[in-house]
Amino acid sequence: MADSFKSLKRSSAEREASQDSKRVKTNGDSETKMGSKPNPYLAHLNDDAASPLDDLERHKTTAFQASKAEDSDNNPWTGHPHSQQYFKILKTRRDLPVHKQRQEFLDMYHSTQILVFVGETGSGKTTQIPQYVLYDELPHLTGKLIACTQPRRVAAMSVAQRVSDELDVKLGEEVGYSIRFENRTGPKTLLKYMTDGQLLREAMHDHDMSRYSCIILDEAHERTLATDILMALLKQIAERRKDLKIIVMSATLDAQKFQSYFFNAPLLAVPGRTHPVEIFYTPEPERDYVEAAVRTVLQIHASEPEGDVLLFLTGEEEIEDACRRISLEVDDMIRESDAGPMSVYPLYGTLPPHQQQRIFDKAPDAHRKGGRPGRKCIVATNIAETSLTIDGIVYVVDPGFGKQKIYNPRTRVESLLVSPISKASAQQRAGRAGRTRPGKCFRLYTEAAFKKELIEQTYPEILRSNLANTVLELKKLGVEDLVHFDLMDPPAPETMMRALEELNYLACLDDDGELTTLGGMASEFPLDPALAVMLISSPEFYCSNEILSITSLLSVPQIWVRPNNARKRADEMKQQFAHPDGDHLTLLNAYHAYKGAEQAGEDVKKWCHEHFLSFRHLSTADDVRSQLKRTMETHGIEFISTPFHDKDYYTNIRRALLAGFFMQVAMRESSNSKVYKTVKDDQLVMIHPGTVVTSPYDWVVYNEFVLTTKQYVRTVTNVRPEWLIEIAPNYYDVETFEKGEIKSALTRVTEKIRRRQAMKGGR
Amino acid sequence: MSKHQPPYSPEQEEEEEEEDYMTMTFDDHPPTTTNPKTQLRSKCSTPSTSTTYETSLQRHRRLRREAEARARPKSNAELAAEADARREAALSRSLFETRPESKGLAMMARMGFRGGSLGRRGDAGVKVAPITIHPRLDRSGIGLESDRKRKLREAAAAADTATKRARADEGAYRDRLRREREEARWSRQLVAAQRVLEGLDSENQSLDPDLDHGGLEGEEEGTRKREAASRPLKSIPVVYRGLIRSRETTERDRRMRHDLEHGLAQVRWREGQLPGYDDADEDGDDKMALGKERAGGTAVYVTAEDLDEEDEELEAFEGLPVEERLEKVVGYLRGKYRYCFWCKFKYPDEGMEGCPGVTEEEHD
Repeated sequence: MADSFKSLKRSSAEREASQDSKRVKTNGDSETKMGSKPNPYLAHLNDDAASPLDDLERHKTTAFQASKAEDSDNNPWTGHPHSQQYFKILKTRRDLPVHKQRQEFLDMYHSTQILVFVGETGSGKTTQIPQYVLYDELPHLTGKLIACTQPRRVAAMSVAQRVSDELDVKLGEEVGYSIRFENRTGPKTLLKYMTDGQLLREAMHDHDMSRYSCIILDEAHERTLATDILMALLKQIAERRKDLKIIVMSATLDAQKFQSYFFNAPLLAVPGRTHPVEIFYTPEPERDYVEAAVRTVLQIHASEPEGDVLLFLTGEEEIEDACRRISLEVDDMIRESDAGPMSVYPLYGTLPPHQQQRIFDKAPDAHRKGGRPGRKCIVATNIAETSLTIDGIVYVVDPGFGKQKIYNPRTRVESLLVSPISKASAQQRAGRAGRTRPGKCFRLYTEAAFKKELIEQTYPEILRSNLANTVLELKKLGVEDLVHFDLMDPPAPETMMRALEELNYLACLDDDGELTTLGGMASEFPLDPALAVMLISSPEFYCSNEILSITSLLSVPQIWVRPNNARKRADEMKQQFAHPDGDHLTLLNAYHAYKGAEQAGEDVKKWCHEHFLSFRHLSTADDVRSQLKRTMETHGIEFISTPFHDKDYYTNIRRALLAGFFMQVAMRESSNSKVYKTVKDDQLVMIHPGTVVTSPYDWVVYNEFVLTTKQYVRTVTNVRPEWLIEIAPNYYDVETFEKGEIKSALTRVTEKIRRRQAMKGGR
Repeated sequence: MSKHQPPYSPEQEEEEEEEDYMTMTFDDHPPTTTNPKTQLRSKCSTPSTSTTYETSLQRHRRLRREAEARARPKSNAELAAEADARREAALSRSLFETRPESKGLAMMARMGFRGGSLGRRGDAGVKVAPITIHPRLDRSGIGLESDRKRKLREAAAAADTATKRARADEGAYRDRLRREREEARWSRQLVAAQRVLEGLDSENQSLDPDLDHGGLEGEEEGTRKREAASRPLKSIPVVYRGLIRSRETTERDRRMRHDLEHGLAQVRWREGQLPGYDDADEDGDDKMALGKERAGGTAVYVTAEDLDEEDEELEAFEGLPVEERLEKVVGYLRGKYRYCFWCKFKYPDEGMEGCPGVTEEEHD
C-alpha cells in the first residue's frame, strides 16, 4: 500500500490550488480538535505526508477529519485519484440522516466496546456505519479487518457493491464480500460484508475472531439463527478480547432487549426518512382474506390519489392468483369507469431475478393526457417486509398473514404454514407505506384482533429450527455447555435433545456429547449434518462423485421449473430424466444431462429453458459442487465412481443415501396404500405429488418431511429394509422400536438376514 | 401381531397379551383393526367365564373380519382424520415423557440440565415447549375464527335451553302439539291485528295535522313505513311496537349485509374509516352530492334512533302469552277505532252494534 501512496503525490500537487479555498473555510474549528498534532493544512508544504489518513489517530478520529479525507482528490485507500462519480455519490451520502450524527456516533464508539445502533430503514446505516468505522479503525495500520454481517446473501453482495462504489474501489479488493459458496475478498480487503452464517463458519477456526478489530451485526432485529448464535458468541469473546469492538444494528425500536443482553450497552438512534402512515382496520373480521385484499386494492385504485400499492400475501400460488384477479378487475374498471391503468407485479423468493427486478419499473402513465394517473401494484410475500425497499409505495394492504417455517422436534416435522404475523411485523409492513410521502395502511382485520390475536414479536429463527446443524457448529466453536449457553432466546429443550440425539446416531457426537472425528469433519462442510455425513461416507459405497452431485442439488432450490401455463409439458420433460426408483436419482440424471449439454457446447440457458430446468439453480449447484469438492479434497475424501453401466450403479447411490438419511425413512402402512408411516415417529404421511417414483417400494428414504395442507415427504427414493439394518444398525436396533407394524416388519427382515447368513456360514 | 396368536394359549399368556394390547394402542387409534379383537378378548377373559375360550369357528370369523377391515381401503377423509389425530397426539406430548431413554437427554443432563428452560439466565418467562403448530385450512381472516367460535358457543347454549324446555312437557305431547298449533295461529292473528292497527294509526296521523311527525314526507306513498320508523319507537303504542321494531331490525341487518358484500369502502366511509377523497374544500353540499353525508333520510337509510335501546315496556308486553297479547290488541282496536278485528269492520257507533262480542269464539 505504501507504494500506491507515493504514486499519488504528483496529482495532489496539481490540485493544490483548488483545495486551498476549501481549507480556509474550515480552518477555525479544526484547530481545536486537532490539538497538538501537526497542522494538516500545511500538508502540501511537506512532500512526505502524502496520505490524507496520515493525520488520523486510531480511535481518536473526528467526523471532520474523516470528511476531509473523503474530500481529498486522491482515494486514501488506494492512492488513485477519485472519479467524478465518487464525488457525486459523496454528495448524496452526506444527505443521509445518519451523516448528521457521525460525530455523535464516533464519540460513542470511542467510549464503549459494544454499541447498539438503531436506525430505521432508509437511514443509511448499512452502507455508512461500516465506512465511518473504517475511517476510525484504520485497518491498514493494524491489519485487522472490519466485518459487517447481513442475514441474506443478496444483501451482502449488493451492499458490498454499493459500498465499493461509494469508496471508489474495486469490489473484491478493499471492499469485499464472503457468502456461502462464494468468497470475493483479497489480501487488500479492509472491509468485508458477509452473511452471518459465514462469520460463524470462520469463527470455527478462529475462536477469538482475531482477524477482526470490529464486528458489525446488521439487521439484528431479524434474529436469524446465525445472528443469535453470533451474539451469544461475541458476548463471550468480548470478555476475552477487550480490543474487539462490536456494533449491533437494528431497524426496530425494541433495542432495549439488545441493550440489556449486551451488558447494558449504550444506544444510538438515528431517525429514518419516514413519513406518517395512517392505519385503517376493518370493522368486521374478513371471511376470505385474499378476496378482501383484492377488493381493497381495487377500492384504492378507484378512490385514492396517486401512489403505488403493496399487498402482502403468503405464497406463490396465492400471489399469482391475486395478480390475475386484480388485473382482470382493473381491465373492467378501465372500460367501465375510466380508471387509470395499473400494472400488477408478483414478488416472491422463487421468482427469477429478472422478473423480481420488474417491481422497480415505473408506474404506467395515464391512458391519455389529463386522464386518471396510472399506478403499480406489487403483490409480495414477506420478503418485501424488510429485505427489499421499493420506493413510491403509498398504500399498503396487510391481511395479516405470512408463511413461516416451524420445526417441531416432537414429530420432526417442518411445517410451512400460513399463520398470523406479529405486531412487530404488522408495524414493519405499515412502515413500507411511508417511504416517500405520508401513506396509508389498510389492515384486513379489526383493531381488537390486532390487539388480541397477534403476538408481539415474530419468533426468532432459533425457536423455529432444527438445531442439529447449530449444535454441531457450537461444538466445533468450542462451546461445551450447550444447556447454559447464553442465547437471547433459548430454544425449547426438546429441540436441543433431538439435535443431540440425531448427531449421536449420525456418529458425529459420542455418548458423552464429545465431537467425534466424523463430527469434526462434518462440521467443515457448510451442510446439514445428515448431508455432510452422507457425503463423507459416500466412498464406502463407490459413488462419491454422484453423491457429491446430489448433495449440491439438494442444497439449492428446486431445479424443476413448472410454469402455470405449461405444467403438462414441464411434467413430460421431467419424465425424460425420471428414474423409476427415486427423485434423488432423477435429480442426478437431470444434472448429468445438463453437464452433457454444456460439454457438447450447447447454449445451456436455452437448453435449460427447453427442458424446464432452472439454469440459475443448476449453475449455482455447479458452484456449490466445486466448493464442496475442494473441501472434500482437503480432507482426503476419495472420489470414486463405478462405470455408469455397472448394474449396481444406482443401487450404490440409493444405499449411500441411507448413510446420511437413515433417520428419514418411511414404511408403507399396508400394501397398496398411499399412506406411509415415518419410522420411530409413526406419523402418517403421503409422498408429495411432485415425485417421479411410479411404483414406490414399501420403504422409502425422504429428504424432507413437511406439513403444508397435509403431511408430505418430499424427494423420495426406494430403499430395501435390509439396507437399513445393515447401514444403520444402531438406529434400526429392533429392541428400541415400539410395538407395531414397523417393528414386526423389521423383525422379519432381521430374521431373513440371519437365515441367509446362517446358510452362507453352513456352506 | 395377530398372526402369532395361538388358538389355545395358557391363561397366563392370554393375560399378558391382554395387557400389551391395553398399553399399546388404546389411546392412540381406537377405531383401527385391533379394536374388535380387544373387545372380544376382554369378553372372553372375564374371570367368571374362565373356561370360555374362543372356538376355532369364532377365531376364523374374527380373523376374517379383521382381514376385511384391513383390506378395505380407507377413504381420503378417514386417512386425513387419522393423520391429523396421530399428529395432534404426538405434538401434544413432551419428548421427555415419550422418550426418556434418549441419549440426547442424557447428554443434556450431563451438561447440567435439570428441566426448565435452557440458557444462562433461566428466565421464568421463557417458553419451554416447542412452538405449537396450527394448520389453517381456509382463507378466513384474522379474528374470524374466534368470532365464529363465540357465535357457535352462543348458538349451542341457546339450543340447549330450548331442548330443555321442550323436554319438560314431553309427557303431554299431543297437548303441546295442539297448543303449539294454536299459538302459531294466534301469533299470525296477532301480527295481522297489529298491521291493521298500524294502518289505522297512520291513516289517522296523516289526517291529523297536530301530530308532529310525518307531515311533509307523508305525501309520498312509499314512505309510509319509513315514516313510522323515523320517529322514536317509544312513541308507538306498545301493542304494535314490537312489529315495527322487528321489521326495523331485519331491514337494518339486511342493509348491513348488503353493504358488507357490495361496498367495502362505502361502509368504511360511513364508519369514518376510509376517508376516500376527503377534500378539505368540499362543503356540505359537495358531500351530499357525492353521497358522503347522510342526507336526511332520503337516500341513506336511517334506522329508528332508539332501536338498540332497552325498552322495558315492550319487553313486559312481549313477555305476555300470545293469547293475552292478541286480546290486548283487539281490545285496543275496539277502544280506539271501534274496529272489530273478528268482524273486520269499523263500526260507526260507540256501542259497536252488530258485533257479537269481544272474543273469537263469539264470532263463530
